[in-house]
Amino acid sequence: MNCRSVTRGRGFRASGVITVLIVGLSLAVASAQTITFATHYNDEQIAPALQCVKQYEAENPGVKVVHQQITYGDYLQTILTSRIGGQAPDIYHLYQVWAPQIVSNDVLAIPPADVLDWLNDTYLDMTLQAATIDGQIWGVPTEVSNYMLLYNKKLLAAAGYDSPPTTWEELTEIAAAITQRDSQGNITVAGYAWGPTVANVVHPFLTLLYSAGVEMFKPDFSGTNLTAPEAVDALEKQSELYARGITDATVGTNDFSSNGVGMITHASWTKAGYEDAYGDQFADTIGVGPIPGGDDWRSLQYIFFYAVDANSPNKDQAWHFIRWLNSPQVAGSPSCMGNVLFTLGALTGNKADLEAGKELLDDAFTAPFVAALERSVPEPIVMQSSEIEGILQRWILRAWNGEVSAADALNGADREITAILREFY
Amino acid sequence: MTTLRQSRAQHGGRRRRWQQRDWAPYVFLAPLLLFFVVFFVAPIVVSVYLSLTNWNGLSAPKWIGLANYEYLLTIDPRFWKTMANTFFFAFGSVGLGIPVALIVAYIITNTRAKAFWRSIYWLPMITNVVAIGFIWWLIMHPTFGVINRTLALIGIKGPAWLQNPNTAMIAVIIVAVWAGLGQNMLLFSAGLEGIPATYYEAALIDGASPLQSFLRVTLPLLRPTLFFVTVTSFIAGMGSFTLILTMTAQDPGGPMNSTNVTSLYMYQMAFQDLRMGRAAAAAFLLFIGVFVLTLIQLWVFRDGGVESY
Repeated sequence: MNCRSVTRGRGFRASGVITVLIVGLSLAVASAQTITFATHYNDEQIAPALQCVKQYEAENPGVKVVHQQITYGDYLQTILTSRIGGQAPDIYHLYQVWAPQIVSNDVLAIPPADVLDWLNDTYLDMTLQAATIDGQIWGVPTEVSNYMLLYNKKLLAAAGYDSPPTTWEELTEIAAAITQRDSQGNITVAGYAWGPTVANVVHPFLTLLYSAGVEMFKPDFSGTNLTAPEAVDALEKQSELYARGITDATVGTNDFSSNGVGMITHASWTKAGYEDAYGDQFADTIGVGPIPGGDDWRSLQYIFFYAVDANSPNKDQAWHFIRWLNSPQVAGSPSCMGNVLFTLGALTGNKADLEAGKELLDDAFTAPFVAALERSVPEPIVMQSSEIEGILQRWILRAWNGEVSAADALNGADREITAILREFY
Repeated sequence: MTTLRQSRAQHGGRRRRWQQRDWAPYVFLAPLLLFFVVFFVAPIVVSVYLSLTNWNGLSAPKWIGLANYEYLLTIDPRFWKTMANTFFFAFGSVGLGIPVALIVAYIITNTRAKAFWRSIYWLPMITNVVAIGFIWWLIMHPTFGVINRTLALIGIKGPAWLQNPNTAMIAVIIVAVWAGLGQNMLLFSAGLEGIPATYYEAALIDGASPLQSFLRVTLPLLRPTLFFVTVTSFIAGMGSFTLILTMTAQDPGGPMNSTNVTSLYMYQMAFQDLRMGRAAAAAFLLFIGVFVLTLIQLWVFRDGGVESY
């Protein structure tokens, strides 16, 4: 045997080994069950859950879990296109207002009986209600958010105020005192700000509407209550801030994290962002007060929930993973998803997480949000909710900018929204 | 026998011709025709069908006839607003962009470092539109933007370019003109280079001034290029929405829909409101608008422009 034949022999053996490895690897990959869960959280926000994923994969050999990030603004259309293309994720993380449309088109799988039992045992009724349509629970509630007045203590103090407003009249007075302009007349510090998202325009308006004791829709969804005097009054109060130059379209809620705005009406999930922005000055700078709607003030509450695609080939495993992700893996500690929410500053309706995260939920920033849950009105679950809120936002903006009166704006919104409601109810 | 032979010969000849002449072009064209049918004809046919249905993309389309067209044309206040915005944007970007590109091309053609200047003006064309939108958003920031800070130095209060409904569309048009300047400038440069120098020499001998030379020699001979640039810029302007979307990303469509063009509105209808059928109907209405205006342009440029193509 010469050197060439030895080399050739080794070459054949090596090729054989590589072929076997490739075939083996291919078979292993083919046999692995991959669960894809799509959320609007970025990698940093979902990091606590991703760490748990490794543990889940170790405990469940042959199962691979992949996180797909879809930005909030693109979530619905991504579901749509991925479903049309047959590439839909197994697990969705849905905003409650998207649910009616998704459920009515048979996109979601009904949770199995054991998951439903676990849900009923583990979650607060009010959060389960938000994931319920026509009496059927469709998923596992995660992020619970409600709105409060956030204020910059230092800006208020500099303007001569040491406590937040409790009525809109007080808010207007304090906001006017806070507002600063440069030599060109541009606002450099706004007393109050809204926007720029649809939610940051519509939801603060709804908190004032609810505080006045009025719901947005009639109980049977045959129309809206936007033409009610209370609604017009709420919008007129908001428009006054624009008319008096206390705020304008050049500032938004994002400026609250840079001492650019005195007060905003916002949910708690931006807490982590404010902690990053203000560092060790966070507690001395950011305060949380009631919705400035008087003694009977009300807030607005919404949730996100995990649900499984009806066409998923991995439905059982997907439900198993969701339940595992939302259950404490160490007794007395929050679940993996609980850790995600607590890191964000968001709330939860999971009783075990509420108990395990008691200390985290008891700080000066979060405690008022938790306490306000009992005053929070769930966001209406209605068909075409996203389109409806978009319409309301556009009319509100027209009123704020003085293009139309508050009454005309709300009449216009009512007309368009009622036309949509008649398509479905 | 002779007849049979002749018949066979004729038949064989016909078959050869059939084999050699008739099929061959189609065989070679087949991939292109298949591509055309699959990616052009079929989507148009499907879109026409969808425009006559109520379809949310999640369940089967429901036939509703012309209801989508009726809604857009007679009920929806935003559709006409976006159509008006679309025409304003298209006419604005063409009306401002073409003279600027022509002037820049004319100046560059008469300079020494032509290649250098062409490269400089071409740079926006190879820049990502999202980056362009974001950079200009910063430049046009009402308080901290470079433009308003510069204006403030000379005591002028700059507008809230992208936040004010009255200036937002103008701001977007300015950026669109800037971003598309390189391409139009390059086309005009090529057109200018194609005009023989003898015409200018003759004009000079006849005593024409530079302005007269430009108006009487350059512009008439540049009509084919002018026609091409006008039509393509107009069509691009009518369908443009990426730059608008990125520049008004915080409030898509701009303050109070002041920069919401029909293409963007179609996107919002289709993918935010899940009204695919209505969006398809809007697309066809926009197409009709573009088609009619292109025909008008063909008529305007019928002498000296169209026949060159």
